[in-house]
Amino acid sequence: MERDSDKQTRARRNFLKLASLGAAASTVAAVAGRPAEAADPAAAKAHGSYRETPHVRKYYELARF
Amino acid sequence: MTEAAEASQQVPAEELERAAFYRLLAGLLSAPPDDPALATLTALEGDATPLGSAVTELAARAAAAAPVDVRHEYEDLFIGIGRGELVPFASYYLTGFLNERPLARLRDDMALLGIARAEKVREPEDHIAALCEMMAGLIAGSFGEPLPLARQQQFFDTHLAPWAGRFFADLEKASAARLYAAVGRLGRTFVEIETTAFEIAA
Repeated sequence: MERDSDKQTRARRNFLKLASLGAAASTVAAVAGRPAEAADPAAAKAHGSYRETPHVRKYYELARF
Repeated sequence: MTEAAEASQQVPAEELERAAFYRLLAGLLSAPPDDPALATLTALEGDATPLGSAVTELAARAAAAAPVDVRHEYEDLFIGIGRGELVPFASYYLTGFLNERPLARLRDDMALLGIARAEKVREPEDHIAALCEMMAGLIAGSFGEPLPLARQQQFFDTHLAPWAGRFFADLEKASAARLYAAVGRLGRTFVEIETTAFEIAA
């Protein structure tokens, strides 16, 4: 909640609310489906074209309904 | 506050709602909605704001659409014979060619962010649906910790802002667009809101 003391953050949130993100978002969230799937780190390792890093690499999947 | 401390906080509702809009756009742009998806879209409700009325129009067009027509519409718009009416890739919009520098820059950023293309995805990563999907994931933390706002803005400014508004405006007035005219309007309106909201926080 400490970010709420940040004027800019509050201004941003107010703007997003006024822009109707809130009003339409509840129905949009209901149809927009699951978030992108987190990938299997083993599969990520097999992906040779990307440099290995210590943290788990995530794959994105094009969203489907 | 450090980036790490900020990122580990819970993502506020207003920010998660942005992710939902990106996911909706990604879903509609990656493939035409099937019958159940159209039925779900029909249930969308918006208010009188520009974004709300774009949502309402999308619901109305979904209610009027038949799945087979939507499939043809999608093909005419994005696939076509040779190519569709629109070519929904950042590189094409920015350079006139596919697989140019904008794609290379995106791949660099994806590597830094720990995002890679799923094996079964064939399109280059700079497809509008993929970029919307990445924004959704970066906001919600699907690729790890949610990305701090300043870095979300960097990604948006580099990979979406230079062309996404133009793409959605083109989609809105594309001659083959029916349902997708409403998707274009929703996307254009949402990109405008994103742009303004980032400016407010910057």
